[in-house]
Amino acid sequence: MAEHYSSFARGGTSWLLQRITAAFLVVVLAFHFFLLHFVNHAADVTFLGSANRMAEWGYFVTMVLFLVTATFHGVNGVYNALINQGLSGRGKQVVKWVLVVASALLIVQGVRLALALQGGVPA
Amino acid sequence: MSRASKGYDRGVIEDFGRWREFSAGMWAWIFHKFTGWVLVGYLFTHIAVLSTALTAQSADPATLQAGEDTFTQTIQTLEGQALVRVLEVGLLAVAVFHILNGIRLLLIDLGVGLEAQDRSFYASLILTGAIVIASVPTFVEGAF
Amino acid sequence: MSADDAENSEVTPEAQAAAEAESSEAGAESDAESGEAAPATPGPQADRMAKKADRERAREETESTEEIDEEETVHLRVFRYDPEVEAKAEPRFDDFYVPREEGMTVLDALIEARDAYDSSLTFRHSCRQAVCGSDALFVNGQQRLGCKTQIADLETPVRIEPLPHQDVVKDLVVDMEHFYEQMQAVEPYFQPDDLPEGDLEEQRQTPENREKVKMSTRCIWCGACMSSCNIAAGDNEYLGPAAINKAYRFAMDEREGENAKANRLETIEQEHGVWRCQTQFSCTEVCPKDIPLTEHIQELKREAVKSNLKFW
Repeated sequence: MAEHYSSFARGGTSWLLQRITAAFLVVVLAFHFFLLHFVNHAADVTFLGSANRMAEWGYFVTMVLFLVTATFHGVNGVYNALINQGLSGRGKQVVKWVLVVASALLIVQGVRLALALQGGVPA
Repeated sequence: MSRASKGYDRGVIEDFGRWREFSAGMWAWIFHKFTGWVLVGYLFTHIAVLSTALTAQSADPATLQAGEDTFTQTIQTLEGQALVRVLEVGLLAVAVFHILNGIRLLLIDLGVGLEAQDRSFYASLILTGAIVIASVPTFVEGAF
Repeated sequence: MSADDAENSEVTPEAQAAAEAESSEAGAESDAESGEAAPATPGPQADRMAKKADRERAREETESTEEIDEEETVHLRVFRYDPEVEAKAEPRFDDFYVPREEGMTVLDALIEARDAYDSSLTFRHSCRQAVCGSDALFVNGQQRLGCKTQIADLETPVRIEPLPHQDVVKDLVVDMEHFYEQMQAVEPYFQPDDLPEGDLEEQRQTPENREKVKMSTRCIWCGACMSSCNIAAGDNEYLGPAAINKAYRFAMDEREGENAKANRLETIEQEHGVWRCQTQFSCTEVCPKDIPLTEHIQELKREAVKSNLKFW
């Protein structure tokens, strides 16, 4: 990056976002686990069952947000763990872009399958 | 004093050989990192498995109704394996610890409970254990 | 007193000296005794000295007849390394058995080992009262000051090693350059925005403000905290708890002013500054001056976030 326009220090942004996504994920991950292991048993999951859940707009949006925040939180966590281990210089740049690309692919794929599930409820 | 050599690098001293000397805060850090890596790995795997929905969506309604589509079949085959059920309990343990210790860290970041930080770590460990043990029956139901 | 003087003029110089010595001590008893005692008995002071000599003799006798058994010695296992001596070019541990004394510290034991057994044993020490920060060591797996750690509190054998994560120069001496570099990087000196108006005008600080920075001023640059931090071990550029605490000490000092504070925050909020801290708390645990390091780092993180949010 040639110039850094925001006065928001880089380290500070990702630190804060990690905490914000953490607070969100605490609730949503617990909810997800609860819904899919206790309310519904994982063994009883079917395409139609999932599609029914996804048909509800609020649930769908929550799941997409869940995907995005979890991806950011997890990948950012991995990136910082590597920096703490001493990753620097060229290696750091490479790892950063690999992680960015992996995250993008994951989010795209996740949204695609969310849409697939949503559109799957028969008329 | 002139020194020709730079000095002797003893390497990482606090390696796992000295685990008995680790403090609570250090265990918390180690476990949080470890559970974090597991969860990230699982996230990618999970999306991959769920991607069978993409092929399933084009199946005809009758197949879907009968639960014969690839999505349903994949998941139910997996859930039929006892090993998968055991791994799921492990996943629960990992996720619950990461959540509980994560809450502890969020509180620390807000400046709450710094004096009790080691006790809050032990509390999250115990609570994780309790939740996991309580959940085992539900998780392994039907697979053994 | 005049009776005393009258008596003293009749007696020998030795008795007179003894009488004069005791007359400087309070007590009517001594006056009465010296009145009667002059030539025959030497007097209470001399009595006391005689008894002391007796006790000394008795102690020496028991000491020489007693054998040195297990409880009377402390077993030390000390890390040795000397690139200039062939036998010690590869690190090893040496065993020392030093006589146990009451109230003995690790530093006392090391000094005894060096003076009595091996004068090549090398370690830093100076004030021996936990203010200079020279003798930070890795004792039984934890970073501690040698002069502040009681042998009685430790499990034997006492393992004494140099601070981890720093290059060893010789025996227990480590290279502190990196630590000092990180400290210098935060500009650890008072930098006020404005100087006061008059020549003799003071820069005032409220008691509350002093209280706030009080603990952070206690740092003796011993390096125990940085050595205990796993992040500092992995990431060479991490400023470390001591440096960040130093920045805290000045950033939170109201006498410095807003500009100085903003500059200081900018230094420590870089990628390898406060954000590297993972709240492991090891630094807080090992600090010999009980500085709540993690708390200070956390406060600086919050300050940084707040000050950055304002620019939106």
